[in-house]
Amino acid sequence: MTTFLQQLILGLREGSLIALVALGIVMIFKTTGVVNFAYGYMGMFSIYIAYTFLNTVGAPLWLSVTICIIFAFTLGASAERGLLRQVRHLSKGAMLILTLGMLMIFEGLALQIWKQDYRSFPNLVSGVRIITIGTGRLVIRNQDILILIVAAAIMAGLFIYFRYTKTGLAIRATAQNEDAAKLMGIKVGVIFALSWGVGVSLGAISAVLAAPRTFIHPYMMLPLQIRGLTGAVLGGFDSLPGAVVGGILLGVIEQFMGAYISEELKMALSLLIILVVLLVKPSGLMGSKAIERV
Amino acid sequence: MSLLEIKDLTVRFGGVVAVNRFSTNIEQGIVHSLIGPNGAGKTTVFNAITRVVRPDQGNIIFDGHNLNGLRPFQVISHGISRTFQNLEIFKLMTVGENMLVGHHREFKTRVMNETLRTKNVKEQETAAWTRVLEVAEMLEIKNRLNTYAGMLPYGLQKRVELARALMCEPKLMLIDEPAAGLNTTETIELKKLIHMFTRKLGITVLLVEHDMSLVMDISDEITVMNFGHKIAEGTAKEIKNDPKVIEAYLGESKYA
Repeated sequence: MTTFLQQLILGLREGSLIALVALGIVMIFKTTGVVNFAYGYMGMFSIYIAYTFLNTVGAPLWLSVTICIIFAFTLGASAERGLLRQVRHLSKGAMLILTLGMLMIFEGLALQIWKQDYRSFPNLVSGVRIITIGTGRLVIRNQDILILIVAAAIMAGLFIYFRYTKTGLAIRATAQNEDAAKLMGIKVGVIFALSWGVGVSLGAISAVLAAPRTFIHPYMMLPLQIRGLTGAVLGGFDSLPGAVVGGILLGVIEQFMGAYISEELKMALSLLIILVVLLVKPSGLMGSKAIERV
Repeated sequence: MSLLEIKDLTVRFGGVVAVNRFSTNIEQGIVHSLIGPNGAGKTTVFNAITRVVRPDQGNIIFDGHNLNGLRPFQVISHGISRTFQNLEIFKLMTVGENMLVGHHREFKTRVMNETLRTKNVKEQETAAWTRVLEVAEMLEIKNRLNTYAGMLPYGLQKRVELARALMCEPKLMLIDEPAAGLNTTETIELKKLIHMFTRKLGITVLLVEHDMSLVMDISDEITVMNFGHKIAEGTAKEIKNDPKVIEAYLGESKYA
């Protein structure tokens, strides 16, 4: 029983991280129509900034993390404004290739500047809680609780923002119908840059939360990005709640798979889920069915 | 002075001249229709006014301002709103939200004070919803405000689009084929609505429409286009008897 609970908690922790990544990917996809393959690498690059501030400059942890998130926002927004906007008129495919190019650039830059070493990053909160249930014991790290809280807060915040504010409405309008939104007086360019900024910041936040366990290195975000994509596909790819549900579900499934069957098959499972969902139910759990009234 | 002056407008798509040296004046407070066979360039004129298409030549002067050089999102601030031929509403949003988007330019809040929910934001939100209710009342869609727009029957979706265009209190409304796909009853209601826009709200309407009985019935002025040129202009009566118009619609009368 305690093993099950323990695995469930770990699964939820992993799931929250995946959900954050999925949320960022879906948000960018929904508004600008492009899957950002450089997503994880932009998060990785941002956390190196936090690392540099923390260890080279000697800034406190909270400041380093704040700078890292601001950097990620600027990075995302300027990548959209400076690069993707320039090829937007060509095709979605051109933008996709551009994100692949960005992936390689960030990977190369990180390798050049910081080498391939594994570097440690501190927990935002330290400490462990141990709960005894009968004969078994549950071990919960405070950092894991923080991850759950941060993820839940971000998701709730985004939900409220999209639902109830003018900017949220403008983002949804742009996602649904760019041309009409433009003629309603919405500056769609600003919306594009904004959602890239917020999306990439989410990547940086998940990197900050994951870094104490994965360590910082140029490929640290690769597993999270693949699983984030899986979570997004599972959820339906064009639905923000879907990304959250898909991400958390994937985290829990993977954790049980690892605990009860085989740790090595975890990544294969992710890829298998992408295949099966795309074959059996391409619209995912909560995606729109793309059926229109004619 | 006319409300909208189109002077020598030319729009080319590659080698095709969609609109060719087209000029017309639209007077304040009337229903002005733009008719012509398919491909005559009517919608392109709309797109040029809203700056979706950049004209190769010519000027469009609205209320004393030259629209050249504006970006599409700025046009609505001058008091021009439009509806589309193929219905461009936000299907996954409720009717109320669709209408709020139409209010976007009036609603002056920033990301920062939205997050803090300042008093100013709350006041503006109340004002925006008051306007939504007011317009919904006029268009008789008040009981549908919380329905997803995509779930509504086609006729009502068209009404939602009109409501959204009304939200910004426009001076000029460009209405592109509002009667397409509507049944007879809905067309009669549409006629009443357009009458209300001009007579009661003082909005000038520029209409593109293929339903000739509707056009002849409500237009104060009609401009006929063919192959990008203006071929005739006048009241319904003058247009009906214009030989050039008859030729454009029915073909040359050499076999008659």
